[in-house]
Amino acid sequence: MRANVWSGRNTVQVENVPDPKILNDRDAIVRITSTAICGSDLHLYDGYVPSMKKGDILGHEFMGEVVETGRGVSNLSVGDRVVVPFPIACGQCWSCRHELYSACENSNPNAGLAEKAFGHPTAGIFGYSHLTGGYAGGQAEYARVPFADVGPIKIEDDLTDEQVLFLSDIFPTGYFGADLCEIKGGEVIAVFGAGPVGQFAIASAVMMGAERVIAIDQYDYRLQMAANKAGATDIINFDEDPDIVEQLKEMTGGRGPDAVIDAVGMEAAHGHGALHAVDRVKQATRSESDRGHALRDAILACRPGGIVSVIGVYGGLMDKFPTGAFMNKGLTLKAGQCHVQKYLPKLYDHIVAGHIDPAFVVTHRLPLGEAPNGYETFKHKQDECVKVVLKP
Amino acid sequence: MSTKAAITVHRSPDEIRRLWQTEGLRSQHIADSGADVTFRDAPGDRGTEIHVDLGRQPPGGKLGEKVQELVATAPLAKVKDELRRFKQRVETGEIPRSDGTPEGELAERKLKQRPAQPLSEDEREKVGV
Repeated sequence: MRANVWSGRNTVQVENVPDPKILNDRDAIVRITSTAICGSDLHLYDGYVPSMKKGDILGHEFMGEVVETGRGVSNLSVGDRVVVPFPIACGQCWSCRHELYSACENSNPNAGLAEKAFGHPTAGIFGYSHLTGGYAGGQAEYARVPFADVGPIKIEDDLTDEQVLFLSDIFPTGYFGADLCEIKGGEVIAVFGAGPVGQFAIASAVMMGAERVIAIDQYDYRLQMAANKAGATDIINFDEDPDIVEQLKEMTGGRGPDAVIDAVGMEAAHGHGALHAVDRVKQATRSESDRGHALRDAILACRPGGIVSVIGVYGGLMDKFPTGAFMNKGLTLKAGQCHVQKYLPKLYDHIVAGHIDPAFVVTHRLPLGEAPNGYETFKHKQDECVKVVLKP
Repeated sequence: MSTKAAITVHRSPDEIRRLWQTEGLRSQHIADSGADVTFRDAPGDRGTEIHVDLGRQPPGGKLGEKVQELVATAPLAKVKDELRRFKQRVETGEIPRSDGTPEGELAERKLKQRPAQPLSEDEREKVGV
């Protein structure tokens, strides 16, 4: 089959590779009909996530048709149309039984590697380095889906691929980021990053009853999408004024947002002055893996007693963590890879009911063979790119 | 270097004591190592903690330790593999396999990962899947 593989920093290529086969009873094989490039794939592309290997098939946002099932899969049949969640979860360990699917204790066969990096292993993830298992990803014609009796959601309604594809990651991830903010109604929520995950975090915060949602980015076209499609009430373009913390305070009558969502992660583009320059140099020389500017500003901007929700991906260590602000303001820091399986039924219902049409983020549609162009366009924000969907 | 390893399995201590001796689940490696194995009720209905203590230092002193750490075949690394495999079999009924680590958790694979793409037929035969 054809698949998009990582072949070194800033290089992906579409190659012929062997077709996947059932390796375990609880596996299924899916013929992929739509797959997408995630912002977190850019961290792999840019070479900031350790334990990548030449030849790794990328992609963790995909959907398609079941073409084969293992003996242990009774909930799916050949021909079923499914969306596959990006975390691979066994459904039976203590973490899975407590809906902490991305902390699955069994699905990462490289637990020994992950332990060295993170202290504990976390769930396996499709196409996302060997620290999360070394699983082939979904930017391909076919994928093997382990624990297929737990993850995939069947699509039985008359919905297009683009309406449901993002159930695999970015819609639940954005929703999870808003969920961590414990929105009860009337809050002010600030969202750093108006990329695809940021858009869904904004839309979710609005659905949950936040009174004001402030989108922060450096690209006007993304901020316009946030305001016009996702429902942001206010926008900050930090390219015009880099002092985000002061702007947020001013916009909130000096209080600061009740909760702040970091939908940026390890390659924060913004920042001003010396600290950003230091981050750039340290990351480029691999002495710091995470450029933490968005997270630092999130902590400095959040109101005392508020919540900072981190859904942007980090991979290792960052410097200059603002411990003083964090401690003295009594902030709660919450984070995680989304527990997608927990949110799938509810979010699917939202789509069916027409509360949201996730397809609004799609700006680019390409055949799988043009994946390398897709990565470049997305990385450099060319042609007002927000989300690239690939068709195998 | 620690000589101890532990894992928690989401089953009652009685069940774990029985499964630990069950053919197809029991770890021959841990049995042969003469390690001290104890089972404890985990707090809050989390199942059972399995504690393994090898109780002796690996041969070769400090240098031997370093060499074993590098090649990842240290007795303790192997014990951890075996504990994870036991937990996986008991909780999920199978050994999770990826394309990078098709044998399932294996200390020797840590530094020799396959690329994350499907195995050819020859490779599958070699791995036995």
